[in-house]
Amino acid sequence: MLLNVSYTPPSTVAIYGRLKTENIGVEKIVANVISNPHIRYLVVCGEDIKGHRAGESLVKLYYNGIDSNHRIIDAPGVLPYIENLDEKAIERFQKQVTIVDMIGVTDKDKIDEVIEECNKEKPLSFGEPYIAIRIKTRVTRSGDTRALHSRVIMDYTGRVKRREG
Amino acid sequence: MFSFTKEQKVLDIKGVRVGGQPGVNPTLIITGFFFKSKPDRGLAERYIPGLISLSGKLGNPVIPDFFIKREEYVDDVVEIIKEILPGDHPFSVDIVDPAVKVKTLERLHEEDMLSRTIYNSIHVGVTSKEQEALEEYKPEAAIVLCFNPKDNSVDGRIEVLENSAHLNDKGLLDLAKEVGVDKLLLDTAAMSPGENSGAALAAIPVLKEEYGYPVGCAIHNVVEKSTWLKNYDDVYRVVDASSNSAVPLFGGDYVISGPVEYYNTVIPLVAWFDILVSEYTEGYFGVEPSVNHPRRRLLR
Repeated sequence: MLLNVSYTPPSTVAIYGRLKTENIGVEKIVANVISNPHIRYLVVCGEDIKGHRAGESLVKLYYNGIDSNHRIIDAPGVLPYIENLDEKAIERFQKQVTIVDMIGVTDKDKIDEVIEECNKEKPLSFGEPYIAIRIKTRVTRSGDTRALHSRVIMDYTGRVKRREG
Repeated sequence: MFSFTKEQKVLDIKGVRVGGQPGVNPTLIITGFFFKSKPDRGLAERYIPGLISLSGKLGNPVIPDFFIKREEYVDDVVEIIKEILPGDHPFSVDIVDPAVKVKTLERLHEEDMLSRTIYNSIHVGVTSKEQEALEEYKPEAAIVLCFNPKDNSVDGRIEVLENSAHLNDKGLLDLAKEVGVDKLLLDTAAMSPGENSGAALAAIPVLKEEYGYPVGCAIHNVVEKSTWLKNYDDVYRVVDASSNSAVPLFGGDYVISGPVEYYNTVIPLVAWFDILVSEYTEGYFGVEPSVNHPRRRLLR
């Protein structure tokens, strides 16, 4: 997982990408990783994202999980909330991968070395893929074609007013 | 085109008027500086005079928005504003890190610049130290970001204004009232494609009718997150600039546009849509454009 770093991983990694945000960004990584049980190591490298602290938030999710408000426990980011993953998905993430915290490291050789060490372990697949997020295809219609929103309506001229009741 | 039943607040931010019924005041253009870079005096010197001059010609007010990424950049940005932005012209500071927010408020207070400041932004991640700093060093106005990490629908945006989606003990509107900032610009929080990106626009007339505050957003951020569009180099910039037209069409009051390099396209484009809106709203609702409206400036 690349934070602020100018680095392209070798072809021996299964997947790589950039992490920017401490909420939706982290969710997407977790959902993606657990959908491929062959991924057993997650290397987080580069300078952390200022303010968002997305890298540190991902590491904290791995070690601490989330609280009852869905906040990543002890995450330093501004809005570290996980809303689209259930606890089972987070638990699966924690069990499936070993996280390698290289936040702050930008040296290509050092990162390559760690990736090589992870690959040497040749870990087995974790088992079945875990599908955490499915695209919703259901569409809800209010039946009121004049409706802008449940709270307001608009007449044919464009005048908006609060919906009664 | 819209007209709202709820009374609409018009804010005066150091002479810049924003808000009201669609068609009255021209759309305010808040233009981003330094989003991907360190504070760059040369960039500010290059673009601020042109930005202000074009705004004066067309009638749409502009407010530069300075992104401050790190604590060590605060002093440089404050110096650039002091030296390059003329007189009392308002500006906004866009900051993610709460510690940098606090430091910036302190510096702006020391420099007696808070009365020109729009604070970007108050959101559900607000910290207690930030609240204390806002109370002590009150900015002239604040953008309230309606981002709801639990719900990206229009209702989710209303929820953070009313109860912070229960992530804080009070809603963002009450919180702003408590710290004493009453000039509020509601930002409908543009999200990436795949994250209900259209809701940022749909929320504009809803929040206007619900609260009467000026409403807008950084809709161009959706373009920047549309990675597929980057394969079409020649239209990417066109789409980025033209995305701003959606805000006046949805009844909004301000756009947060960027990068500043696009201002030559964005300001005339928004002015053109403002004229379109004004012609209908005057004809149908009897709403007259203000003295500085581009329709008065450009159509004689």
